[in-house]
Amino acid sequence: MKRAFLCACLFASALRSLSAQDFLDQLHQALTISFFDDRVRARASGLLDLEYYHYPQPAPGLIEAMGHDLFAPRLSVFVDAKIGPHVYFFAQSRVDTGFDPSDLGAEWRLDEYALRITPWDDGRFNLQLGRFPTVIGGWIQRHLSWDNPFINAPIPYDGVSLVSDRELPFTGQSFRRVPAFDKYEFLPIVWGPAYTLGASVAGRIGIFEYAAAMKNAAVSSRPEAWEEFNFHYPTYELRLGVRPNQAWNFGLSGAVGPYLLPDAHPMPAQSDRGDFYQYVLSQDVSYGRGHFQIWAEAFVSRFEVPRLGNADMFAYYIEAKYRITPQLFAALRWNQEFFVTADDPAGRPVSRAHDVLRIDGALGYRFTAYTQLKLQYSLARGDFISDNLHGTFAAQFTVRF
Amino acid sequence: MDFFVTIAILAALLGGAGSCFGQAAIEGTVELPKGHFVPVENERYEIVSKAGVLATDPPRAVVYLAGNFSRSERLPHRTVTQKELAFIPGLLAIEVGTKVQFPNEDDTYHNIFSYSPTKRFDLGRYPPEEHPVPSVVFDKPGLVTLRCDIHEHMRGLILVLQTPYFTITDGKGHFRLTNLPAGRHVLKAWINSRKTVEHPVELKNGASLQANLP
Repeated sequence: MKRAFLCACLFASALRSLSAQDFLDQLHQALTISFFDDRVRARASGLLDLEYYHYPQPAPGLIEAMGHDLFAPRLSVFVDAKIGPHVYFFAQSRVDTGFDPSDLGAEWRLDEYALRITPWDDGRFNLQLGRFPTVIGGWIQRHLSWDNPFINAPIPYDGVSLVSDRELPFTGQSFRRVPAFDKYEFLPIVWGPAYTLGASVAGRIGIFEYAAAMKNAAVSSRPEAWEEFNFHYPTYELRLGVRPNQAWNFGLSGAVGPYLLPDAHPMPAQSDRGDFYQYVLSQDVSYGRGHFQIWAEAFVSRFEVPRLGNADMFAYYIEAKYRITPQLFAALRWNQEFFVTADDPAGRPVSRAHDVLRIDGALGYRFTAYTQLKLQYSLARGDFISDNLHGTFAAQFTVRF
Repeated sequence: MDFFVTIAILAALLGGAGSCFGQAAIEGTVELPKGHFVPVENERYEIVSKAGVLATDPPRAVVYLAGNFSRSERLPHRTVTQKELAFIPGLLAIEVGTKVQFPNEDDTYHNIFSYSPTKRFDLGRYPPEEHPVPSVVFDKPGLVTLRCDIHEHMRGLILVLQTPYFTITDGKGHFRLTNLPAGRHVLKAWINSRKTVEHPVELKNGASLQANLP
């Protein structure tokens, strides 16, 4: 692990040279093609991420790995194409060890592909079809490694609850504390960017923005559910935003839809997976000016759990980034998540996860316009297993091309 | 009053005579690389996109007279505007010590930065109405690549020169350099970061020289 990370640092030094930067500039141009007097143009680009984690057991967030160390490389390749002034297409493909870092083998996936039609020049209306991120919240625009000052996601997108979309409890006590090895059965409020299938409309009229989508799976659904071409149990998403000026951005979002997988078991008699919904409400705000940026989001989520009733969660985070020099930046994030469960129908208390407090601190350095190193330390108290204080160190080296 | 008018007319005539008979010019053509850069905007995670396509910029070259010239006493302020998600002009040549302003004429934030060793800076995020207009003084010769931290397709170049005698070709490679000092010099054409061609020239007062650079 350490050797791999050392290699990354040496790689960074090599890429720091002017000739390497010039090469990446040339590559940037070489990966662009155009036809019909430039009316059709496309560009391939990518991110190579080399990530290293050191953590106590169990692995934090959505990381799925045993041991205390994990090296997780990832190659993401993007295609952006413009077909005339009104049609835009994009796609993202990845080779990695799983959508979330894991110690499993390498795999290749096509994570995103979407076609966007913009009939009017002023952006009052956009129609998008395909597989693309959720429209709710304010984190999606900066969820890729190059744009995000942190290595992991904020807790509403990363903190696992006790609600499962597959393993359904019989009683309040079997709504249980989760052993580390099957943590992957359980859901956060929003699973990362939630690249689900569907259609959306979005636009801006004056200072107001709107976005609405119908997708094939809930915002909390796991990556395996995102690609299932089945719209019998759709999720509806909505975000309304106000941007009074370029510095401020306010948004209110909501999502509603069934969240159980087709193989969820044991289902209550005479019920269907479409009877159990996840409801999400969120508010986001961001401010940016000069070298300073701040973001905050708050989420309330309700899962209707078969036999038990409602499991509610509240999570929020406040994140700030400051660019200290043209190449060095620092970021700090405060995350909290609270779980609420009522007694089960038999009057017995339902077990619940420990409330979580997590503080993330990160330092980042851009060696060139194409290479970046981030170091992060997260100190957390509480998770779905224990109430202990524990820390996670992470490093990420990124090459953009 | 008539005396001052006479003096002014004489001064103008002498000045004009100086530029006609005391200085030289070079005109010619630089062979430019074929093809042009076609930017493609990344709109993947924009909540709202606008219709339209980004303008393309044909390649151009900077032609300059290299030598040990004294620095201009008063350097003009130059401007690189951010408009329709592009740097305008995409290539700017300036003399060492020139101040360049970067007004934002789009209806969105821009964040101009450079990691070039010639000049490292980051202007931060600023809106269209920013006053005073963010500016940078370029105090070392060399090439500066301008980028925007928000719009990754945006790229601009500033070539900082140690000579007051320079110009930029048109899209076909034509150039004309005027008001040059007489003597033996080297004419250079910067074509891109990997290619600069040069040609020795001997300039005579009042004469115009033809020079084509391969």
